[in-house]
Amino acid sequence: MTTTLPRATRGLDIDRRKVIVGGLLAGSVASFLSAIGMVETFDERMIIDPILSLGYAALVWIPVLFGYRVSQRVALEGMEAPRVGAGNVLAGALVGAIGGGMLGLFAVLVDAVNVRNVLLNVTPALVDLLSFHQPVAVGALLLVAVGAALGALGGVAHLFNPRVKSAIVSGVAWILLFSFTELVFGDIFDDLGMLSVDRLIYAADRGLTLGAALVIFGGAALGSLRFKGRASGAVARFQAMPEEKRRSRAFYFAAAVMLAGLLLPSVFGSYLNEVLATVGLFMLMGIGLNVVVGFAGLLDLGYVAFFAVGAYTTAVLTSPLSPNIAPEMAFFEALPFVLLMAALAGLVVGTPVIRMRGDYLAIVTLAFGEIARLLFQADWLKGTFGGAQGILRIGKGSIHTYFGYVVVASGVVALLVGFLRWREGRRLDRIGGPARLPGNSTPGLGITIMAGGLGAIVFGLLFPSFATWTVTGIDSEAVFRMVMVFVAIAAFVSWRLQDSRVGRAWMAMREDEQVAESMGINVVTAKLLAFVIGAMLASLGGALFAVKIGTIFPASFKIVQSIIILVIVIVGGMGSLRGVAIGALVLIGILGGPTQTGLLREFQEYKLLLYGVILVYMMLQRPEGLLPSARRSRELHQEEFLQDAWIKTQEGAAAVAEVAAEEAEEER
Amino acid sequence: MPLLEISGLAKQFGGLKALGGVDFTIDEGEIVSVIGPNGAGKTTFFNTISGMYPPDSGVILFEGEDIAGLTPDRIAKRGISRTYQNVRLFPNMTVLENVMVAQHCRTSRGVFSALFQTPAFLREEEEIRQRGKEVLGFFGTRLTGYRFDQPAFVLSYANRRRLEIARAMAAQPRLLLLDEPTAGMNPRETRELTGLIGKLRSERGFTVVVIEHDMRVVRDVSDRVVVLDHGVKIAEGTYEEVSSNDDVITAYLGRPAGEGSS
Ligand SMILES: Nc1ncnc2c1ncn2[C@@H]1O[C@H](COP(=O)(O)OP(=O)(O)OP(=O)(O)O)[C@@H](O)[C@H]1O
Ligand SMILES: [Mg+2]
Repeated sequence: MTTTLPRATRGLDIDRRKVIVGGLLAGSVASFLSAIGMVETFDERMIIDPILSLGYAALVWIPVLFGYRVSQRVALEGMEAPRVGAGNVLAGALVGAIGGGMLGLFAVLVDAVNVRNVLLNVTPALVDLLSFHQPVAVGALLLVAVGAALGALGGVAHLFNPRVKSAIVSGVAWILLFSFTELVFGDIFDDLGMLSVDRLIYAADRGLTLGAALVIFGGAALGSLRFKGRASGAVARFQAMPEEKRRSRAFYFAAAVMLAGLLLPSVFGSYLNEVLATVGLFMLMGIGLNVVVGFAGLLDLGYVAFFAVGAYTTAVLTSPLSPNIAPEMAFFEALPFVLLMAALAGLVVGTPVIRMRGDYLAIVTLAFGEIARLLFQADWLKGTFGGAQGILRIGKGSIHTYFGYVVVASGVVALLVGFLRWREGRRLDRIGGPARLPGNSTPGLGITIMAGGLGAIVFGLLFPSFATWTVTGIDSEAVFRMVMVFVAIAAFVSWRLQDSRVGRAWMAMREDEQVAESMGINVVTAKLLAFVIGAMLASLGGALFAVKIGTIFPASFKIVQSIIILVIVIVGGMGSLRGVAIGALVLIGILGGPTQTGLLREFQEYKLLLYGVILVYMMLQRPEGLLPSARRSRELHQEEFLQDAWIKTQEGAAAVAEVAAEEAEEER
Repeated sequence: MPLLEISGLAKQFGGLKALGGVDFTIDEGEIVSVIGPNGAGKTTFFNTISGMYPPDSGVILFEGEDIAGLTPDRIAKRGISRTYQNVRLFPNMTVLENVMVAQHCRTSRGVFSALFQTPAFLREEEEIRQRGKEVLGFFGTRLTGYRFDQPAFVLSYANRRRLEIARAMAAQPRLLLLDEPTAGMNPRETRELTGLIGKLRSERGFTVVVIEHDMRVVRDVSDRVVVLDHGVKIAEGTYEEVSSNDDVITAYLGRPAGEGSS
């Protein structure tokens, strides 16, 4: 058998098979989105006032993307780079035309045959929409033409250099962002009394005005051209910093975010606050699950159980309407009990599964999640948990007084810690010399901490007099603030644990449980600890959820919650705090939680579909997640890492040369 | 009192007698080699001592106390540490992290001190780091410097073996069990490691049991040699005694024709 040479890429010679497959795929995706009613639902929402609705936008990207991908030619190393030109454009146009034709065919077919009893969403209105309000036959032809044009656009993209390409992409992204956040900015401008600005940008709740869209596109594109690479440069510089400096930078950054989080809600307006509170809630649970899955490597699919325990404990302890036991505690009084119950639940779930691994663990925990929900729903516990009716009138989380106490208490702790640091620093100063290492205490550090503690005490004592934050579902601002505080606590806990003896033990256990055990790690304690800490963090989420909603039912604690939290962790980047934060922002912020809306309210119905698509895409293209921890990306790309990562760095190259020289020396 | 005193150690896998009542002792400061043909039960011997499998029967006295059937982490804590025939590092942890995590059972700071980073916590972390670096220094510059922060999987095969020994040392045991430490090494690396095994005793004060196939290594390092075959001890003594023992030669070369089958 002779080896076939790679297909020549001269002139207009295009890969016919790829084009046909791509076109059919594009057509299928478009028809599918139409058939499930997405196009029609989304048509309600305008992106740019007279010309583009979200409905059409849901279709427009398809020929562009497929046109782009199909006409892409892979440059193989060591081979002549494929020439870009008319061939790309033609391939793109063909893909678009095939896709458009298929969608047109779909429109004609559903117009002729009534399939509404099977596909509910295929309405005459949809057909009308797809054929641009023309007769179907004309519409179908139009679709072919439009598809071809858009596909060609995708092909043309190859002619631009990467900078221009990314400028265009960022222009489009900013237009989408502005139009999606119409309600948010509307609220903010309202709060700031700048309705006229609102009028200028948005066409009265119907998307961006054409002018605003052009300005935004231009601005974003210019910005991208001008500042491209700056951000990644900053990131690179940050990563090049010494460990100590990096840590303190990260800490200040987190502190700034926190401060902004405490101040901004008053500007944000209720809608954004609501969305962000949901984001925070899921971020909190993502951080907790990340401890269990990302750090300790225990795939827990029943995580929602701990969320439920937190919510129900809060409900029972605070609501006057909880059937049997109704101590009517205040939220903060109930909180220690919530944590205690969660820790117990963690032990109860963790103990039987200690010796299980991988798939078995996942299946058993999945069952535990369901069992928890069924228990809360069961009739024989109705006396305590209210059965299917749930518990109403959950106590308000009035935090003005308690929060003050908490702040004072942490101030006292800080004073104490600061004093210890100060003393330790003095001791080390006296010993001097090599005993002084980075990470060690210094007297200055001690004094700083003590000063912080004093500040906190004063702030905490004064707090009740100037702030009255009462958390109920109504005051979205207060809810969001409170969620922020809890997220900060969770992030702090997991950040500190990661680089400690406990964190290392988890890591080792995730790598090789048997060896970890032979190296002296008690895997039973390590696993239970992971479960307990994960459970406690989830229960905080549950408690907040309960006061936020004010009423809880067993139906709020379905498996899908566990799955969505897990998807956040996976999409964001397992084992990475930043990743979980980004994952929650992107998924929950834009698409919304299982029952809560995100910025894109229209996506409500299609959320799970999109979650699935995103998950599959990530698994294929970027299994380490959006912002992975260094460790995880190494793990998933061991080979590439082996090949180049080290040699690329300067000292790496030097070290390699050095070792080679050494080896040559020894050889002689 | 011997450091480790084993009597009647037996382990069976289904119908297969991997260990059929082995007696074994080692004194503080000795280096003893365990040899035997493939499948003789040498690794199983280590696995039962280190607690990976509980033995079916037999007594394992370590410092006079029976450790048979304890969990591996308990045994590690008592002072027995091991390496594996098929190197088993924590591949995605860095070289330094590998030796740091091995000190788990010698350290004690838990969740709360980690959360508040108490002085005691910071001091202990620093000690762990220093001891880790010190242990890695046992192999010259092979595992130090820029290597500290490399993930273990990038190491060459020989370096992985070295790191595994360093990890076992970092647990600060009294008894080291090395399972074929020179397997897969080239002659030069083997020679170097042979010297280092001697130093494990002379410089670090470890007592060492080593499973080894390379007879030169066995000759050079061991005070005493124990030969296993089909799960039973068939000979014991100095290298010279054992290498001239008829049973041992038969075990390695097979029975001469005419003396019965298999
Ligand atoms: N976990 C196990 N399950 C079943 N059989 C096992 C197990 N471990 C070891 N064996 C069997 O026990 C016997 C002894 O194995 P062991 O690994 O101890 O031999 P060895 O002396 O270390 O051999 P080698 O020189 O090849 O390393 C072999 O026949 C092996 O197949
Ligand atoms: Mg073996």
